[in-house]
Amino acid sequence: MAFEAEHSQGVLTSQDWEFLHPPVVKGVPYPVVDLAVRLNLGGARQWDETEGVLLANGKCRGCVRVQKVHGILEACRSQVLPLPAQFRGPERGWYRGMILFDHSVALVLNTAWVLEEQLEGKASTESQGTEFVVALQGTMQSKNQAC
Amino acid sequence: MLRTAGHAQHREMPRSWHLLVFSVGGRRLAVRTLEVGGISQWRESIPVSGGTPFVSAVVRLNQTVLPVFDLAGVLQRTMQGNSLLCLRVKHSLGDMAICIDEEIPILQTLDLSMIQPYRDNDVPAEGSYAHGQEEVPILAVSRLGMGSW
Repeated sequence: MAFEAEHSQGVLTSQDWEFLHPPVVKGVPYPVVDLAVRLNLGGARQWDETEGVLLANGKCRGCVRVQKVHGILEACRSQVLPLPAQFRGPERGWYRGMILFDHSVALVLNTAWVLEEQLEGKASTESQGTEFVVALQGTMQSKNQAC
Repeated sequence: MLRTAGHAQHREMPRSWHLLVFSVGGRRLAVRTLEVGGISQWRESIPVSGGTPFVSAVVRLNQTVLPVFDLAGVLQRTMQGNSLLCLRVKHSLGDMAICIDEEIPILQTLDLSMIQPYRDNDVPAEGSYAHGQEEVPILAVSRLGMGSW
């Protein structure tokens, strides 16, 4: 999975904070978001979450625990593929699209949806020009994709 | 100046259907060849959490990403074989991938008189034909993943 880097405020390792408590960075609290629960993966969790991605969208903030952050991928907007139309459920609001990543595919999460519980009002997630994406699963550390 | 022919043109209906016959979990099914985009080796699918019944993954084929229709899930079958195949079908919303058994699919031409309505409703079907005692459904590809059928 991937987050748009424009919403990413940083990455914390498990040594930086205790997972049971919401981290506070520069005096700003980041409520913990359990993405596995949000994605209905809670019962199937079979991994250790060792890092946390700090996200911000407007006034909303959150820390998403992830298994591993693999790096930053710079991609053109055109390289973000739309979710196929056959997906017709609520997931259409969960993902911004997909990117080809390494030999696989990373789903780009909709930050507004991820932070929805912290949102008081809906924030626009439209971005322009280049998309900067933090890749969370895959093998690459950092890579630019030619547009 | 162009003019039409003196007699009305009419398109002759095909008297037979060309089918690709394959199996999922040992269950035999068919699809019209004109709705087949290709067959390749099955690659690991990427799960997509969501709420669409039987569409919960994508698979990458080179630079293309296709949604996966879980036909085995619909039929409540377990795939057979170690070298599963990917059947690419032409859906009205865009191509879809279906994981099928490793048994190599076969081509079959069927006279229209052999095609009957499909009596079961476990899969969307344009019809069916008899293969011994077995009724083989001919998948209605455009209705896959479109809710109840």
